[in-house]
Amino acid sequence: MIIPEFEYVSPQSVQEACALLVQYGDSARVLAGGSDLLVKMKDGLMKPAYLVSLKNLDSLKAIRYETGTGVIIGARATHNEVMNNRLLQEKYRSVCEAAHSMAADQIRNIGTVGGNLVNAVPSADLPPILIALDARARIVGSSGERTIALEDFFLGPGKTVLEKGEILAAIIIPDQPTTGSNYIKFGLRRAGALAVAGVASSVTVSDGTCRDVRVVLGAVAPTPMRARQAENVLRGKKISRELIDETGRIAAAESKPISDIRGSIEYRRNLVNVLTRRSLKAAIEKGHI
Amino acid sequence: MSEATTKEFSVIGKSVPKIDARDKVTGRAKYTGDLKVTGMLIGKILRSPHAHARILSIDTSKAEQLPGVEAVITAKDVPATFYGISPARYDETILAIEKVLQVGDKVAAVAAVDEETAVKALGLIDVEYEVLPAVLDPLRAMDEDQPQIHPQYERNISVEIHQDFGDVEMAFQQSHLVRTDRFQGNRATHVPMEPHAAISKWENGKLTIWSSTQSPHYFQYHIARVFGLKMGDVRVIKPTVGGGFGGKLEPSAAEYVSAALAMKTGRPVKIVFDRKEVFFHNRGRHAQHIELTTGVTKEGKILGVHGKYIIDGGSYTSLGIASAYYAGAMLPLIYEFDHFKFDCFRVHTNLPSCAAQRGHGAPQPRFAFESQLDMIAKELGMDPIEIRKVNARRPNTMTLNDLKVNSCEFMACLEKAREISGWVGKKGKLPPGQGIGIGCGGFITGAGYPIYRTRLPHAAAIVKVSEQGDIATLYIGAVDIGQGSDTILAQMAAEAIGINYEDMRIVSADTETTPHDFGAYASRQTLMSGHAVKQAGEEVRRQIIELAAELLEASVADLDIDRRVIFVKGSPEKMLPFETVANEFFIRKGPLMGKGSYTPPKLGGKFKGAAVGTSPAYSFAAQISQVEVDEETGQVMVTNVWDVHDCGTVINPNLLHAQVEGALFMGMGEAMYEQVVFDDKGRPLNANLGEYRVPTALDVPQVISELVDSYEPAGPWGVKEVGEGATLPTMGSYANAIYDAIGVRLYDLPLTPEKVWRAIHERKKPS
Ligand SMILES: Cc1cc2nc3c(=O)[nH]c(=O)nc-3n(C[C@H](O)[C@H](O)[C@H](O)COP(=O)(O)OP(=O)(O)OC[C@H]3O[C@@H](n4cnc5c(N)ncnc54)[C@H](O)[C@@H]3O)c2cc1C
Repeated sequence: MIIPEFEYVSPQSVQEACALLVQYGDSARVLAGGSDLLVKMKDGLMKPAYLVSLKNLDSLKAIRYETGTGVIIGARATHNEVMNNRLLQEKYRSVCEAAHSMAADQIRNIGTVGGNLVNAVPSADLPPILIALDARARIVGSSGERTIALEDFFLGPGKTVLEKGEILAAIIIPDQPTTGSNYIKFGLRRAGALAVAGVASSVTVSDGTCRDVRVVLGAVAPTPMRARQAENVLRGKKISRELIDETGRIAAAESKPISDIRGSIEYRRNLVNVLTRRSLKAAIEKGHI
Repeated sequence: MSEATTKEFSVIGKSVPKIDARDKVTGRAKYTGDLKVTGMLIGKILRSPHAHARILSIDTSKAEQLPGVEAVITAKDVPATFYGISPARYDETILAIEKVLQVGDKVAAVAAVDEETAVKALGLIDVEYEVLPAVLDPLRAMDEDQPQIHPQYERNISVEIHQDFGDVEMAFQQSHLVRTDRFQGNRATHVPMEPHAAISKWENGKLTIWSSTQSPHYFQYHIARVFGLKMGDVRVIKPTVGGGFGGKLEPSAAEYVSAALAMKTGRPVKIVFDRKEVFFHNRGRHAQHIELTTGVTKEGKILGVHGKYIIDGGSYTSLGIASAYYAGAMLPLIYEFDHFKFDCFRVHTNLPSCAAQRGHGAPQPRFAFESQLDMIAKELGMDPIEIRKVNARRPNTMTLNDLKVNSCEFMACLEKAREISGWVGKKGKLPPGQGIGIGCGGFITGAGYPIYRTRLPHAAAIVKVSEQGDIATLYIGAVDIGQGSDTILAQMAAEAIGINYEDMRIVSADTETTPHDFGAYASRQTLMSGHAVKQAGEEVRRQIIELAAELLEASVADLDIDRRVIFVKGSPEKMLPFETVANEFFIRKGPLMGKGSYTPPKLGGKFKGAAVGTSPAYSFAAQISQVEVDEETGQVMVTNVWDVHDCGTVINPNLLHAQVEGALFMGMGEAMYEQVVFDDKGRPLNANLGEYRVPTALDVPQVISELVDSYEPAGPWGVKEVGEGATLPTMGSYANAIYDAIGVRLYDLPLTPEKVWRAIHERKKPS
């Protein structure tokens, strides 16, 4: 397989990267791990004239905690870096598990958080758990920086709110009262399979009552989606098996899956139902795993 | 008592390391794609975007003008010779002549200085097509309103088989229970790690091809015929090969097109398929639609079987006729019954061609049979192992289709599988959602007849001892494609001569330097090539002993060799080292060589298709699987598999068990995950390793591979098949285990979570 010709640039600063992206406009693409972009280019699905590599931008790589802000995951952090990060393992193991559910070591060693999000593939594994944890996206552009809820980041398959010249710099998981979170991916093989459906949840539980909850569905709508009606079933209520069952059913009903070679609409709805229940149960009983 | 347990061997029967292990793990081993020949160009093939279309015109002028392009060819530049399995069904050409018959069919080709230029040039070729309606549904392919794909095959019938043994209607009338069930197989494909690849060099009227091949001989034969060359002017060399599984048994466009481009440019040309092209070329498993009727007595004795099949052959015949015959021929092998009817239509569709894949034609019918046998056992209130024992083949019997079975320890396989799996404590007793099931199989040890008509022996070998007598080299046409034939044949040679494995060198699979062999398919080399090797080694041994007898002043009958020491039996102090005698031999008489060849006895009956299924020997196997089913998602986890194989004497236990595991995992992929799917235009939707999912190391169960004591008189030292046999039982054993777990019967491969879930759903619906 042959990759079409392109010009490779590797700016030394985020500002320079943004400036180059503005200058080249639609003919440029950001290159992170390339595990998605290069495959598409080889398949002839994309022919950018310029690839703006982020590889020199070490400021985008760190995973750290900032008091008052929360856990900051640099967009260039790879899936294996996320998976093996001590801080995340302690605070939000669910994120590490989601990273672990992806691909295999080869891809996890190069694929990045930023690439996974900006790609905006409905089946991507990181968005659901990050949205469930109320993550924010820090976006840097030539005219400054903005931070938005990750939930509002996705517009459709392959489409995000990023404007020309903007780069996703980091994901922030804010400090939060949640007591548990969890992501379950259902793939058709134990490794190297994309999600047929994925469900993430986070819960804030005290005294057997669900004070708050988020349920986020992957691979069953054009973008990762909050199952808000399902959340409403559980929020503020005393937790019971019946209620969780009901949450699963409602989540399935509000999901918007399509049929494709990985699964039919009906099957995906069933998976949403089952995985929602299981994810909530795990988040309630086991914390952030 | 078998000979195997009474005789001590020096070299065989031991898990010596693979002869190429070091080269492979260090990356020194060179595959065709790694090779570079001076002046080499890169070839690329332009493939059809349409499933069925008439080629109206091809304009190559722009491509020709691209700097770096050395040749652009279309059908008019290459021989129009049709090729395939047999003259009546030669229906494929190097490049499509008038019509393309599938997405990915071969339309034109380019040779250029590098891959980039070649790819660019493909984009500059203008082809005008008249798109024709396509046949995409094998079950409708024979309908009157369907377009005809090949002018010579009416109603798209590639082959029609009707075999009738005994009186199946009478058998059904006498049966206590007659069941008819319909099963559907899947279009699986081999997925060798190494894609098809070839380098062709054309020099002084001689064509040399380095190829990722399972059979240099058949490649040489077909390529010589297609290009009108003498076989002696075609040399096929096999470098290291990364798997074949049946998909590299006939030349592909990699060989034909690179050869045509080499002839046109006068420069060597390399073609390596990308993964998509491997899917286009395919030659994988036929999807078989099987209606199976079986009649049994109250006691579970099978009286008669009637199989009606429609199988999807895809675009070209390829080796598919054989696959179609095998689909019936292997059914009467492992259970004894007298009445059998086999009706089969292999139909053409505008999808990639299907042909031989591990277990050749037999695994899906075996899935159907093993599934149905369990259903019958259930109706009769019998244990699944009991019903198999009632019908199990016995040694020294003849099948109803005239296959002669010598050794057969199938009964022992069943007993042992039952014991080691803990069947009695588990069957019907596992917690809900867990289940255990059995499936069985048996397979040929080499085909009784070659693919084309020839009187050549099936295998041949030469052993040459060095002039110093320190090493010996085995020259053999047998083909190591990763399964380890070089290793076990070297072990056999060492054993036969009386030297050590470490003393052996091997030169294999090169039509010019090694003697003829048909290659790696039909699980044939251990027995057939092994015979030739044993004979060659023993010829060396005889010559050494004769000279040693002279030197030691002893009689030939009193001498023996073991691990390089030639000694007088009973007085081991009277001895000579092997190298001394071998060296003396060379000084006195010249090269010390031995040769051997093997032709199987005349086998089989007289009916049409009787040759298919014949073999000097047959393996038998019983496999028990344990599964856990997630009833909410339909996901099936296979936790354990116990495979008990009757494979005769073992030459290398590690390699043998690796074959069992590999075959079983391949069967698992076909059973659970794998299926090539197409859109409504015949374009493959998953021609990649992301969406065509083979099992990974995380998916496969724990496998306990065990053997039963067995000795095959037709094999050298008593050997027989292992490489394909273990693929056969897997699908049925999984389906049966799933049934045991959740009471749901699946008829349709692969047994995906969604299908399992749907079946559970159907069951739960109030009727
Ligand atoms: C074999 C294989 C298996 C896979 N399995 C999975 C899986 O299980 N689950 C899953 O979710 N994904 C999977 N993927 C998809 C992919 O690897 C991941 O989405 C990965 O995270 C992409 O990251 P990357 O750094 O390689 O992205 P790249 O390919 O470098 O970029 C992807 C896209 O994002 C843009 N981009 C990247 N970073 C930024 C940034 N910081 N700011 C702005 N734009 C940016 C690029 O311009 C490009 O459009 C798989 C891919 C392969 C090849």
